[in-house]
Amino acid sequence: MFCMSKSPAQLRWARSCWISAAMVVPLAIGACAAFRLYHLHGFAAYVVAVLPTLPILWVLVELGRFLAVAKDEFQRNILVQCVLGGTGGTLATTTIWGYLEDFAHAPHLDLIWVYPIFWLFVVVSYPVVRMRYR
Amino acid sequence: MNACIGSPAQYRFQDRFLFFIVPLFVLDGILDIWGFHYHHLHPAGALAVLCAAVQSSPIIGFIVIIGLYLAEEKDEFQKSILVQSMLWAIGVTLAVTTFCGSMEKYSQGPRVDIASVQFLFFLVYIVAIAANRWRYR
Repeated sequence: MFCMSKSPAQLRWARSCWISAAMVVPLAIGACAAFRLYHLHGFAAYVVAVLPTLPILWVLVELGRFLAVAKDEFQRNILVQCVLGGTGGTLATTTIWGYLEDFAHAPHLDLIWVYPIFWLFVVVSYPVVRMRYR
Repeated sequence: MNACIGSPAQYRFQDRFLFFIVPLFVLDGILDIWGFHYHHLHPAGALAVLCAAVQSSPIIGFIVIIGLYLAEEKDEFQKSILVQSMLWAIGVTLAVTTFCGSMEKYSQGPRVDIASVQFLFFLVYIVAIAANRWRYR
């Protein structure tokens, strides 16, 4: 998806992903350190907790923008199918895991994992979708 | 979705919903009310996994029939409304879960059951479908 980037929309999307990934790491480490060192409470805790999520949300906004402005219908269609694959996989996994927590006492899965699970399924769907159009 | 148009794909979607998903929801309800609330069952091991599979089967089934509908639907406009709604739903769901997960992780916010993700998704999905249909009135 990234190595074949040609159009400005694709370049912008790829750049956003890399910048976001680069921003998440220091923000998450900074938030962890702030909570450990300063034992934050109240409004400050909420603000610091939200900081690492901002680059993640930015990627979602850029994804929506990319889908809206991409000129290549084929590439857009492939990405949409991958996102739908990711959606289905995420919903299936979280639903099954949630009930396993209830019935089989599986370990609790934090909500923060929903986002990586989604992208994992998007990445897994990508070769499957591409294979259909070989 | 079903009031005005009747493409073959939509009819098949409705049939699948009626004959597969509704019975699974009924089975779910029976298991929930009769098993867990009335008889206070505490399944363990393989039976617990089976109960989890039964309880999640309507949602998994629903995802499958939406996938089949998208593959079969010839009307690009209908397909586009469905896809746009799903993209909005997953976008909002990911935003909310990331936000709440972060709160939970850092500031000891309330512990949210991961199974609630499906309810959030379908709630936003229904709202998005209604909003998209209203946009293209």
